[in-house]
Amino acid sequence: MVFTSINFLIFFPLVVVLYYITPARYRWLTLLVASYFFYINIKPVFALLVAGVTVSTYFFARLIDNTSVESKKKRYMVINIILILLPLFFFKYFSVLNNSLVSILEENGLRWPLPEIQLILPIGISFYTFMAIGYTIDVYNEEIESEKNIGILALFVSFFPLILSGPIERAKNMLPQYHAQNPFNYELFVQGLKFILWGYFMKLVVADRVGIYINAVYENIPEHNGTSLLFASILYPFQVYADLGGYSLIAIGTANTLGMQVMQNFKRPFFATSMAELWRRWHISLITWLTDYVYTPLSFNFRRWKVWGIVTALIITFMLSGIWHGAALTFIIWGLMQGIFLSIEALTIKSKSGFEKKYNLTRKKWYIFAGCLLTFILFAASQIFGRAPNVSDALAVYSGIITSQGPLFIGQVSTFILSMASLALLMSKDFVDEYYPSRILLFGNEKKYVRVLSYSSVLILILLIGVFDGGQFIYFQF
Amino acid sequence: MEKSEVIIKLTGIFRTVFNNDTLVLSDELTANDVDKWDSLSHMILISEIEKGFSIQFKLKDLNKMRNVGDMINTILVKLSL
Repeated sequence: MVFTSINFLIFFPLVVVLYYITPARYRWLTLLVASYFFYINIKPVFALLVAGVTVSTYFFARLIDNTSVESKKKRYMVINIILILLPLFFFKYFSVLNNSLVSILEENGLRWPLPEIQLILPIGISFYTFMAIGYTIDVYNEEIESEKNIGILALFVSFFPLILSGPIERAKNMLPQYHAQNPFNYELFVQGLKFILWGYFMKLVVADRVGIYINAVYENIPEHNGTSLLFASILYPFQVYADLGGYSLIAIGTANTLGMQVMQNFKRPFFATSMAELWRRWHISLITWLTDYVYTPLSFNFRRWKVWGIVTALIITFMLSGIWHGAALTFIIWGLMQGIFLSIEALTIKSKSGFEKKYNLTRKKWYIFAGCLLTFILFAASQIFGRAPNVSDALAVYSGIITSQGPLFIGQVSTFILSMASLALLMSKDFVDEYYPSRILLFGNEKKYVRVLSYSSVLILILLIGVFDGGQFIYFQF
Repeated sequence: MEKSEVIIKLTGIFRTVFNNDTLVLSDELTANDVDKWDSLSHMILISEIEKGFSIQFKLKDLNKMRNVGDMINTILVKLSL
């Protein structure tokens, strides 16, 4: 069951009602049952993996807590991380490794008896595995105590709003909330519904409609001129933002209606004036997870190398992030590009801030605009490797953009106009929220009729121009 | 070394790393309060503190530091070992 399915529109209100009529001390159990039902509805056998990750994590975290010998604690942590990473590696990389090995052997005249294997990736496996790893490391670092109730830990790993694509939450934020017996919070409930509404707008109206144009161009790269390739490449970061950002808002909003506070996943990323700032606003839950559990240990080990230690840690972290996105050279290059951009910023930050201070640039509108524009160009350029199916296609896009200008491909005129209009609406909202917060309020207006009019308009837009047979959420493949 | 001496020395290290001669440390100070104290500059700061006080942190020590007060206490513990 996914957020854009009819099943979910029936399931979700039912869970909300069941949740609030359950006595407060057993509400976690209602959520646990609902979460497993939600996940089993996708593919029953994959729920066994979720349960396996939970059981392993539960026992090893308890063992870590119950021993005072440091070497044993470390061993338990490492064993659990390896154990729960095995299914992720198996499903994500086995096919690629196996098929590469077969072709290498065949090139050298050796026959491999196994046929080609294409495994279906259990949806959400990266996200719940990352949450379980984070919990294990937090227990090892003594930041939290291990959870004694396996049911609560099972809920943390499988909580249905987050299991498919995050936000990748932390145990120290979620476990106390599952234990708490909070009364119904009207403000949080309403805020949740607003997030869900805007999340559906971002996904169904913006992401899926813009996606139609991008797919038309990227699926026929040789057929399109540089102008159209450039335009589709400019649009792609907006599609990913509307897709994963929209998904995240629906997830956060769903959790809010159940009285849970979940971390923000996007914070108006296209108003970042540097790549470092963009990565503090884009897929926040993944980047903070990587910072805490990958980048920090790496940079700590490399700290003697000063700034070069940071550069090395940054590049390794983003390369790993790239490999996580997919076992393909395109994603490795994508990760490497992020690492290089951030490293250049880290190496030049002192001279840059000195220059900005000298000419008092940081508050000048043109300077802020130039920073946003340059950051966007760098990000969009790297995202070509995120979207193109392989390196030669990505290079063909770059080459096309530079060499072959021509008339812009429009495709279906109505789709094109609606995509641009909905994207403009999304970016206008972000612009107002970024630079003029509380100046123009629609969903949060104190006048009831303005609020009702706003909700209704967005709902009508979703129903009228939403793409209901559109693709899956982009991040389900990761 | 007394806490006051640690604070004086630590202030000097903070001012050098963040290039800010007016920075004043307090127990409640966090990375959010100091311009340019981010995950990139944090490890340079840690490395300079280790050098300045001739101590060695463990990764666990870093994870437990919530503010400058925690940092000062950790340094004092390391110095007393």
